[in-house]
Amino acid sequence: MKVRVKNWSAVAVWRWKVDDDTCGICRMAFDGCCTDCRLPGDECPLVWGQCKHCFHMHCILKWVHSPNANQLCPMCRQEWKF
Amino acid sequence: MAGRFTRRLQKELLDLQRSPPTGVKLEDNTTRLDQWRIHLTGADGSLYAGEHFVLRFRFGNNYPMEAPEVVFEGPNIPMHGHIYSNGHICLNVLYNEWSPALSVQSICLSLLSMLSSSPEKSWPPDNDTYVRRAIASPKQTSWAFHDDTV
Repeated sequence: MKVRVKNWSAVAVWRWKVDDDTCGICRMAFDGCCTDCRLPGDECPLVWGQCKHCFHMHCILKWVHSPNANQLCPMCRQEWKF
Repeated sequence: MAGRFTRRLQKELLDLQRSPPTGVKLEDNTTRLDQWRIHLTGADGSLYAGEHFVLRFRFGNNYPMEAPEVVFEGPNIPMHGHIYSNGHICLNVLYNEWSPALSVQSICLSLLSMLSSSPEKSWPPDNDTYVRRAIASPKQTSWAFHDDTV
C-alpha cells in the first residue's frame, strides 16, 4: 500500500523551564501571564535574579520600582540583580 | 477596587475560604475585596489559648506592592508586648520589611506565632504615650523594631 501525505499540521506544547508553578508576586501560573498581560509567552517573559528566584518580568519590575522595595528580592531579601 | 492585582486578592480570598490554616477564619459576610475581617484563635498551649481576636485588613490599590494595613479590632485586643491597646501592631513585615511574596495567610500565621511565643501578657512599655498620639493608620507611624525574640 502506498500512502501519500497530502498535508500535515504540527502541534507543539511549550512551557517555561522553571522549578516553581506560580509567580510569588502575582500568584498567577508561570505558564500563564502576569495580571497586566493577556497572552503568555514572549510578551510576558520570566526573569531570574542572581539569587536564582524567578518572577514574571513585569511583576519584579513593578516591585523593584516601587518605593517600598529597597531593591530586594521578595523571596530571600538579597539585593535584586538581573 | 480596580487595581491590577484584584485577581491575586480574589485568589487569596478563595484560598482562605476553602482551606484556612488552624486558628484563622475569614468573617463569613465578607463582601468587600478591599477590607476583610479575620478571626484568630490563640493556639493551644499559649497564653492566649482559645481566645478570639479580630483582625482588620485593608488593601490599597497597590497591594501586594504595598503592605496591607493590619490592626486588631473590637473589644478583645491581645495583651502583648508588641501590640498596642488601640490594636496597632509593631511587626516589621507589616511596614518596612513587607514583601509581595507575603500574603494575608502568612501575616496571620506570623501574628499567631508572635502570640504563641509571648512569655507574659502585658502592653508595650510605651503603650499610653503611643495610644494618645497615634493616628488612625499604623502605617503612618515610624516604627523602631528592636526586639526579635517575641
